[in-house]
Amino acid sequence: MKKVEINLGIPHDDLVSCVSCGLCLPHCPTYRVTQEESASPRGRIALMKHAESTGFIDEEFVEFMDACIQCRGCETACPAGVEFGSMMETTREALATQTSYQPWWRRLGYGILGRPTVLAFVSRVLALLQWIKVVPKKLGLPRIPVIQRPLVASGTDVWLFTGCIMDAWMRDTHRAVQRVVEATGAGVQFPNKAAACCGALHVHAGLGEDARLLAERTMTAFPGDAPILVDSAGCGAQLKEYGHLLGTELAEKFSTRVFDVHEWLAERLDELPEIQEASGRVAVQDPCHLRHVQKSHHAVYQVLGRYVEPVGLDDEGLCCGAGGAYSAFHQETASQVRDRKIESIRRAGAPEVASANPGCLLHLRAAGVEVRHPLEIIDSIMTKGG
Amino acid sequence: MQTSPHANILDDLRTVLGDRARDGDFELGLYGKDGSVLQGQASIVCLPVATAEVRQIVEICRKHDRPFLARGSGTGLAGGAVPVGDPVIIATAKMNQIIEVDLENRIAWVEPGVLNLDLTKELTPRGFHFAPDPSSQQVCSIGGNVANNSGGPHCLAYGVTSAHVAAIEVVLPDGSVTVLGDLSAEPPGYDLRGLFVGSEGTMGVATKVAVRLTPNPPAIRTLLLDFPDVRDGAATVSAIIAAGLIPAALEMMDKRAIEIVEAFVNAGYPTEADAVLLVELDGLPGGVEHGVEVVRSVAERHQVGNIRIAADNEERELLWKGRKNAFGAVARIKPDYYLHDTVVPRGKLVEVLDKVYKIADAYDLIAVNVFHAGDGNLHPILAYDSGEKGVLERVHAAGRAIITASIEAGGVLSGEHGIGLEKRDYMGMLFSAHDMATQDMVREAFDPQGFANPLKVLPSGSRCSDSFGQHVPDGAWV
Repeated sequence: MKKVEINLGIPHDDLVSCVSCGLCLPHCPTYRVTQEESASPRGRIALMKHAESTGFIDEEFVEFMDACIQCRGCETACPAGVEFGSMMETTREALATQTSYQPWWRRLGYGILGRPTVLAFVSRVLALLQWIKVVPKKLGLPRIPVIQRPLVASGTDVWLFTGCIMDAWMRDTHRAVQRVVEATGAGVQFPNKAAACCGALHVHAGLGEDARLLAERTMTAFPGDAPILVDSAGCGAQLKEYGHLLGTELAEKFSTRVFDVHEWLAERLDELPEIQEASGRVAVQDPCHLRHVQKSHHAVYQVLGRYVEPVGLDDEGLCCGAGGAYSAFHQETASQVRDRKIESIRRAGAPEVASANPGCLLHLRAAGVEVRHPLEIIDSIMTKGG
Repeated sequence: MQTSPHANILDDLRTVLGDRARDGDFELGLYGKDGSVLQGQASIVCLPVATAEVRQIVEICRKHDRPFLARGSGTGLAGGAVPVGDPVIIATAKMNQIIEVDLENRIAWVEPGVLNLDLTKELTPRGFHFAPDPSSQQVCSIGGNVANNSGGPHCLAYGVTSAHVAAIEVVLPDGSVTVLGDLSAEPPGYDLRGLFVGSEGTMGVATKVAVRLTPNPPAIRTLLLDFPDVRDGAATVSAIIAAGLIPAALEMMDKRAIEIVEAFVNAGYPTEADAVLLVELDGLPGGVEHGVEVVRSVAERHQVGNIRIAADNEERELLWKGRKNAFGAVARIKPDYYLHDTVVPRGKLVEVLDKVYKIADAYDLIAVNVFHAGDGNLHPILAYDSGEKGVLERVHAAGRAIITASIEAGGVLSGEHGIGLEKRDYMGMLFSAHDMATQDMVREAFDPQGFANPLKVLPSGSRCSDSFGQHVPDGAWV
């Protein structure tokens, strides 16, 4: 294999913070399905150390780095508090800027996410192709609406972040979230097109420069001090990390305004309408970026618990394999990881599943799992009740 | 033409394993190391999925006159899975099926790559578990447990791995497959199974293991006792056992251990205490409650501060999570650690602990103590930064002093981590030349040519058949 010069630029103290005890291995979805060191967090850090000390990498190294889902389950498991996520992001950015790691077609795909008009156009074309049934089912795409009704603001108490793919393909979820938030008496407003995309997928892909531009733009779309609610765990995690990403005081302040919508609702449970009796069991799939990154997955249980009986899964928050764009680029691994998740869901023995992240929702639905956003479940209960 | 010296053997291995025989530079680097600080060099890694493949790998190794080394999850702490003498690595992690669970006979047949905690999780809903529970339980494999005769907190009452393995299917170094031990209560003949358990991969590769299942206890109480002085904690340990009680687990942590563990789990470990004891009692409810009273009254005679009893399973699990993650959490103080594993008579705990702190001070190192106090199994951890010049020499010298102090107190070299590479050359401190020659003869009975995990356990020179390379890895202290 051809060797290529590289400078990953990972701080030395971060690299040596891993003592290679291996306690992360069972909490890593790719290790779980391969049982190979190269697909483990400990292994990946050792590979980074190797690359840093020799100054060279090869295709094998790039493959190993690209195979990480970036779920950050290893960070929760690590007794030493090793910050694996930021090391992987730094590595990917070095690969994207110093090698041909991100080919033009992937860059094009990421580029579309930040351009709402193009994304809307592509989505419309996809929707029409779906309508005439020429889109293969195995792509796992959801039913994309041909006609999009706009979201309508109801006040200025809170912002609801709308995002890229979620807004283009799952706007009805935003509508359900809006109704639940409004049920507390709060008025909801929506950002303009400057907040087209949070940039999470770009960070994961190593396209740091694009991510920083998207972050700068996104921040301009939320003037004032109103809290910014997010119904996508991945986007929420990213918006909360703007302070770290941009390193400015403004970004720090912006990040403090960001809440996962369940976090915000969990503080206002009493303001939500009561129903006669809790109905049914709902298995809760914790999105990695809610559990391992934002660490606020408990809020989903609190909010759901007012209306249904939430049941946690027995896999300690192991990833479902979605990983943003991961499931598109690594279909085989992603579906093996998902198989484990589906087994865990089956063991929970609940007729319905909730997941607070669009990526997980799409990935699980593609395998035939009946899964909805937690607030869609609550919205339908409230609508039925009223 | 390929000119690599490994080309021929690799070709042969690939006909059996396809792309599961690896030789990429980056990947090989990952199999040169285990959980210890020792570093070896791997040149071929095999990832078999079945006994037949392991047998074929061993046969190919013999054909090419190459040794082999079995590796589980790579969490060993004595360098047992660190390759020296250029062995072909046989990583059994992909052999991870629970083949059969027979509740009636309380036996499960499992493949060696099954993770210890996965097995227990599979069994728990059916009322059973696998009793040995090393701190690395969530990731260590059953095959690794067999190789090291692993212990764990609950082995105080339940016994170590050997007591929980009924039979083992092994690929012997001559390439034959056999089953050692059987499922009957009193197997006839020599206990070759007992010999294999703890042989650290020097007698062959385990490919299936029949483990004994232990019923879950009807009642459990977990107590956290804090002491203003580590000596009182240690004295309490001996006094509890002397009072006629054998708790399921009896663990101790010193001040530094408490601090780093609490930073990770936030379980409410008392960071102001000098030491804590984590005591678990299990069995029938009446017996457990009686045990709690015994522990309480003994501890009160030894200046115990607070006695906390876990209110529910969640609190219990959180306390254990702290204890079991303590080693990894050491990285919160320093980026590297050297973990020791000696056993001393319980009555000497206070004396040896004192010495450990003095030794660490003398060598300007930080000592963290977290260990299986009930059976006197010390785990002094020396935390250091390998970036500091000359620090490794101090770490090794301090380690030698700790081992010497333990042996002088009537203790032994290793409680549960094994001898591996790390303690190989200390064997002479405990055994006479005659003892070691006898052990060598036992090993030779299984592996006359020294194919299986070469250069481990017994010091070079104790056997005449150590014909493979004598490369000593960086960081090894020999």
